[in-house]
Amino acid sequence: MIKHHPKHELLAAFVAGELPAALNIAISAHVELCDECQQAITLLTQAKADEVFSIEDESVFNNVEVDLDDDFEDLMIAQITSQKGDYVDEEPTVCTVEYAGKQVNLPRALNSVNWAKFQGVGKLSRARLDLDEGTVRSYLLQIGAGGSVPMHTHKGYEVTVLLDGSFEDEMCSYSKGDFIWLDQSFTHSPVSNDGCLCLTVADDAPVFTQGLSKLLNPIGRFIY
Amino acid sequence: MLQTSNGNMNQSQVENKRSMLTPEQSAELKQWLIAVALKRDKKSFALLFKSFAPKIKSFGFKQFNSEALANDLLQETMSLVWRKAHLYNADKGAVTTWVYTIMRNLSFDMLRKMQTNKEDCLSDDIWPIVDAHAADVDTEEFADHLLKQQLAKYADALPEAQKQVVRGVYFNELTQEELAQQLNIPLGTVKSRLRLALGKLRQQIEENS
Ligand SMILES: [Zn+2]
Repeated sequence: MIKHHPKHELLAAFVAGELPAALNIAISAHVELCDECQQAITLLTQAKADEVFSIEDESVFNNVEVDLDDDFEDLMIAQITSQKGDYVDEEPTVCTVEYAGKQVNLPRALNSVNWAKFQGVGKLSRARLDLDEGTVRSYLLQIGAGGSVPMHTHKGYEVTVLLDGSFEDEMCSYSKGDFIWLDQSFTHSPVSNDGCLCLTVADDAPVFTQGLSKLLNPIGRFIY
Repeated sequence: MLQTSNGNMNQSQVENKRSMLTPEQSAELKQWLIAVALKRDKKSFALLFKSFAPKIKSFGFKQFNSEALANDLLQETMSLVWRKAHLYNADKGAVTTWVYTIMRNLSFDMLRKMQTNKEDCLSDDIWPIVDAHAADVDTEEFADHLLKQQLAKYADALPEAQKQVVRGVYFNELTQEELAQQLNIPLGTVKSRLRLALGKLRQQIEENS
């Protein structure tokens, strides 16, 4: 049962197309599994569409011709309507990843994304998504049964979407579909008793905060 | 406010205000889009185009700060409206919402192309437009969706007149009365065309399964 959802403002920014691809993918992965957020998205999209298509203020065009001139417009219409109306909506393929000896379906949002090979340290293994977004980095992360991530905090934010399995931290236990947003005000050390597969997005390397764990800082950079 | 069929945006209204579409305007947009879906009606398309063009350009200009790119966005968006009209499902939302998602998706991919070295088009998988439940392979909805796809394939082989009614009823989810009105033919004709078409479809599906 999903208990952790993206907050409303984040869903609104998602609908408006204002977020980096990695965050969009994380939110989309949650929404695919969450009826509640799907409904919220439907309403937000409607509202956004109304807003965008009802703006009367054309001041944005101060230096630009507001109206296309008629010839240009007619040419465009003629060009468009000379095409066939034969668009076929292909059934999207469902991508899978092998983890813990089974095939797990991945969110549709990852369909056109490539990722590097999984590389592991102990019970942790991750593959970086090839999104090319500077400081925003995202990974598929597997935690083997009994595995844990050392205590850490973040300079920016860290998003985890649980794609399969479960894990706990000091605050909660999480299950499939949960969307977990942490920022620098939180530290946590997730533990997964039965193993799990996550999608993670972080905008900066986490900073490890506890004694011994400080030695593990390179792992911190390794994970997120 | 979108322009209505009778045309020009009243300049005195163009100020810092917003107004939602009236129900009549929404119905009008829907009627035009359905006419494009069913009949590839160029006149209706031109009306849709003129309604949305200034808003799409304005949106594009804010995104790209370039008039040329705003025009690209306009052309790409309206091209998809033309090519995908038959996939519009009036039950799933307003025309404005449908056009918005097409425009937002295109604009996201364009921006991404400008900001990264990537040529990937992620948007349609991030914000699936037609059916969001591809992963729920077990659900009835998905079975329905598959059936629709099959139906779509076979329906393409039907004569134009029969194709129109099948699409209208099963894809645009119009009632037979609405369809009769839309196509400007008697209700009885809609019924008989549909009966003929369904007979042929059944035969084809049986032969192929
Ligand atoms: Zn949710």
